[in-house]
This record gives sequence, C-alpha cells and structure tokens, in this order.
Amino acid sequence: MKNKYLALLAFVAPAFIAYFVMLVIPTLGGFYYSFTDWNGLAKSYHFIGLDNFVEAVTDDPDFIHSISFTLKHVIFMVIAQNVIALLLAILIESQRKMKGFFRTIFFMPNMVSLIISSFIWTFMFSQVLPQLAVKTGWLFLNQEWSGNPKAAFFSIAIVSLWQGVGYMMIIYLAALQGVPQSLREAAIIDGASPVKSLVHITLPMITHAFTICFFLTLNSAFKVFDVVYGLTGGGPGRETQVITLNIFEEAFSNNFRYGYASAKSVLLFAMIMLFTFVQVFVMKKREVEA
Amino acid sequence: MRTARLGSSVITIVLSLFAIVSFFPLYVTVLNSFKTEKEMFSSILSLPSTLQIENYSQALQKTQLLSSLGNTVIVSVLGIAGILLFAAMAGYKLSRTPGKLSNFIFFLFIASMLVPFHSIMIPLVKTTKTLSLQGSIYGLAVIYIGLGVNMAIFLFHGFVKSIPRELEESASMDGCGQFRTFTTIILPLLLPITVTVGILKFLWIWNDFLLPLLMIQDTNDYTLILSTNKLFGEYTKEWSLILAALVLTAIPVVIIYAIFQKFIVAGIAEGAVKG
Repeated sequence: MKNKYLALLAFVAPAFIAYFVMLVIPTLGGFYYSFTDWNGLAKSYHFIGLDNFVEAVTDDPDFIHSISFTLKHVIFMVIAQNVIALLLAILIESQRKMKGFFRTIFFMPNMVSLIISSFIWTFMFSQVLPQLAVKTGWLFLNQEWSGNPKAAFFSIAIVSLWQGVGYMMIIYLAALQGVPQSLREAAIIDGASPVKSLVHITLPMITHAFTICFFLTLNSAFKVFDVVYGLTGGGPGRETQVITLNIFEEAFSNNFRYGYASAKSVLLFAMIMLFTFVQVFVMKKREVEA
Repeated sequence: MRTARLGSSVITIVLSLFAIVSFFPLYVTVLNSFKTEKEMFSSILSLPSTLQIENYSQALQKTQLLSSLGNTVIVSVLGIAGILLFAAMAGYKLSRTPGKLSNFIFFLFIASMLVPFHSIMIPLVKTTKTLSLQGSIYGLAVIYIGLGVNMAIFLFHGFVKSIPRELEESASMDGCGQFRTFTTIILPLLLPITVTVGILKFLWIWNDFLLPLLMIQDTNDYTLILSTNKLFGEYTKEWSLILAALVLTAIPVVIIYAIFQKFIVAGIAEGAVKG
C-alpha cells in the first residue's frame, strides 16, 4: 500500500510542483491581494477589505465601460463565430469535391497568432481597403477602421472572426461527420428536403458540438486581449478598451496598483465562471432532451 | 436532379467567396512584402515589378529576428518537452492508481483549466520574480510547463484508459521497475496522444504574446513575436519592413501546418470533444 502511494507521488510530483507554483499560488495570491492596497513597489501593504471591489464597480467609469464593451464583443462574437463556422462546416460537408481544400483555407488563419493577425489587419485596414475602395467604388471599405469607435468595434470583431472561425469549423465538421449517413439518407428517402433533414436530423445530433463551441467562443471573447492591443490599443481614447486591457494597464502601465488590479481580475474570473456555468448548464440540459 | 446540381455549384461559389476573404489578407501581406513602399501605395494588388529582397534583409537586421527565432525555438522545445514528460508521467499514474487521493489530484488539475490567464498574471509576475525565473528564456519555459501540464494531463489520462493493463503487469512480473516499465513500455504506446498534445502546445507557446511580454525585458531574450511587436511600434508606417517581418514570423507555423495538418485538425477535434 505504502509503495503504491510512493509511486504515485514520484510520478505526479514534477507536474504537480510546476503546476502548484505557476498556477495555484498565483490564483490564491490573486484572491489574497484583491483585498489589499498593494502597489507592487512598496514592500508593505494593508488589508482594506472590500474597498477595491467597491471602487471598481462604483467609482471607475473606465472599468465599467470596459465591461460593457467586452459584453458587446462577447455577444457579437458568440453569435457570429458560431453561425459562420457552422455554415461553413455544413456547406463543406455537402460538397463532394474539394472538402480538404476549403478546410485548409478556412483553418489557415488560425495558425497565425492573434497579435500577428492584428498587425496584418492593421495593414489591411489602413492601406489595402482604402485603395480597394478607390478602385472598386465600394466606399464603405474606406473607413477610419481604428479611429472611429463604431468601426473599431467591428474591426476587432473582423480580426477575431477571421482568425477564430476556422477552429470552430473544425469542431463542427468533426461532429457532422459523426452523424450516421444512413439517418440522413432515410430522411431523404422519406421525402424530407435537405434543409428539413438538416434542421430535424443533423443539427439535433450535434448539440454536444454547440455546447463545446459556445463554451470556447464565450471564453475566448471574454478574454480578448491581443487583437485589441495590436489593433486599437484600446483607443480612440479608451473607447475600445476591454476588461483584460483595463487590468493590464492598471497593473503594468499606469499606476502599478496591483491590489486594485487583482480585484478586477477576480471580478473577471467571476464573470467568466458565471456566464460559462449558465451556458454549459442550459445547453447540457438541452443535449439530454435532444 | 438539375436543381441539385445547381444547388451544389451555388454552394461551391459561396464557399469560394469565403475562401477568397479568408486567404486575401495573407496573400496581400506576402505580395506587398516584396514591393517598395512607393509601388505599394500606387498599386497594392498588382504583382511586384521587381522582388525587393532588401525588405527582408532590413527586417532581419533591425529586429535581431534570427536570435529571436533561436529563443523561440528554445522556449518551445524545452516547454513542450517538459510538459510532455511530466504530464505523461502524471496522467499515466493517476489513471492507473484508482482511489480518492488520485481522483482529488486529477480534479485539481482539471478545475484549474477554467482559470483565465489574465486573472493570475499579476501574482504570477511576483512569484516568478521571487524565483528569479523572470527575464530569462529558460525561466519562461519553466512557466509554460507549470501553466500547460493541466490540460496535457487530462488528455494523457484519458488515453491511458484505452491501453490494456496486461502489458505492464507482465513487465513487472519479469522484474521490471516502475519507471523502466513506464519509459520502455508505456511511453511508446502513448505516441499518438503525445503528438497531439505536442502540436497543441507548440501552437500555444509559439503564438503566445502576453506571457513573454510580461516576463522578458531584454531585447536579446525576445521571442519572435516580441521582436515583431517592437518593430511594429518603432517603424510605424514603414510597411515594407513590417510586412517582411510578419511573413518571417508566420512562416515557421505555416510550414508546421503544411506538414502536420492532419494531426492538428484531429488534435483540435479530439481535444475539444474531450474537453
């Protein structure tokens, strides 16, 4: 018996120690510091109870604005990313030829890191699209893509979609391929149109993929950072500042209020947990029913 | 029948339009990285009249791109090797040792997958400073190991269940020690999942921006992405230079993608379904 636990310890210890130091201690530390006025520079700090949290939600318009901007981004991304990814997956699955070709093309942007994607698109928005607008007469292409808050919202979404849709498409494709061909054929023989068999047979059979993809898009949209950092830097002003960028600036580039920034991190954590738990709970329940 | 064929060609056209939108940004980036700026501003869509290789040599000179490439390779190799070895060991043993303790440890690993990086980055900066892991490529690799093992353990744990126990049992009867059993018998069997995890972790580490941004200050220790980020900030509007750097940064991943596409796609589908 003793031997068994000794072996367990020996095999698990390297991973556990690394994990404990890099993940567990910082997680607990974050909760701890969120109740202090630690500023990262001074050696001492004091417990100030819930003051940080109270300040964040009542006396920090930039933070509140970053929350509402992030929520808008989340809603738009969860819907757009899943609709486009599912559409592409269904269209590709309906093809006989060139499946592999289209999959390769749509997934390729996902290999490019988000920050590099945002630089590529800065080039697109500032140089390519304005020239295209002149040449084609499609004037809507010539916008102040990062200077105008409304356009900047969409430019952030466009880059996130361009980079992220392929990933979700892969998951939907895998799920669609798992639906038995015989079921669809039976429906078609019984006289169901392709659209009907899609809505009534195929989609109910891939609800688990919906749960996964909604979870992933919800999570990544809440944590959006690189694209905003690279594309607008949160500007103009702080119009497009997202929560993560607000925390980053609070901690590392403005006033080094680590304790206060930690409180905001805890709030971000709580928000993500709340939304994903509700989402997974609701969608899992539907999965069972379907 | 005719409508079906018509429908299918409409679908092909729709897909092709999406494909153009998806591919176009990469295409114009590569295309214009070979042009002079003057040519870029007058005709952004045409093929370059002469190949401006100087853009690339300039980008290489101004960013230490080569040494950054070396740093990125070191971080990726060490990080991935550490994650694979430690996670394979832990995932294997946790899967093979039923009981409350191992269930609890496994649960701890899994639960931590929900913690967003942005919520731990501030204390992580402090912890790594205390351990003097900050400001070094090797320290960065260690941090990646700590942050990356949880999901890897999850995948290894699931895979080990599909391996029959008989092999290990006969090995231990033959007097083979536990660790030797693991390295000579189990590790080779884990190859498929090892490839999957390795690729997922490669894409993560290679493309990560925020962690290196927080941990690395000296330009000699910069990763590729940090160098490109710096170049982008310093030479705003010098597009020929920036585009060449962007292409150079993205090329290694595209090559990996070309070689391992099947594994990457399978890995994502698998990782997602199990997650």
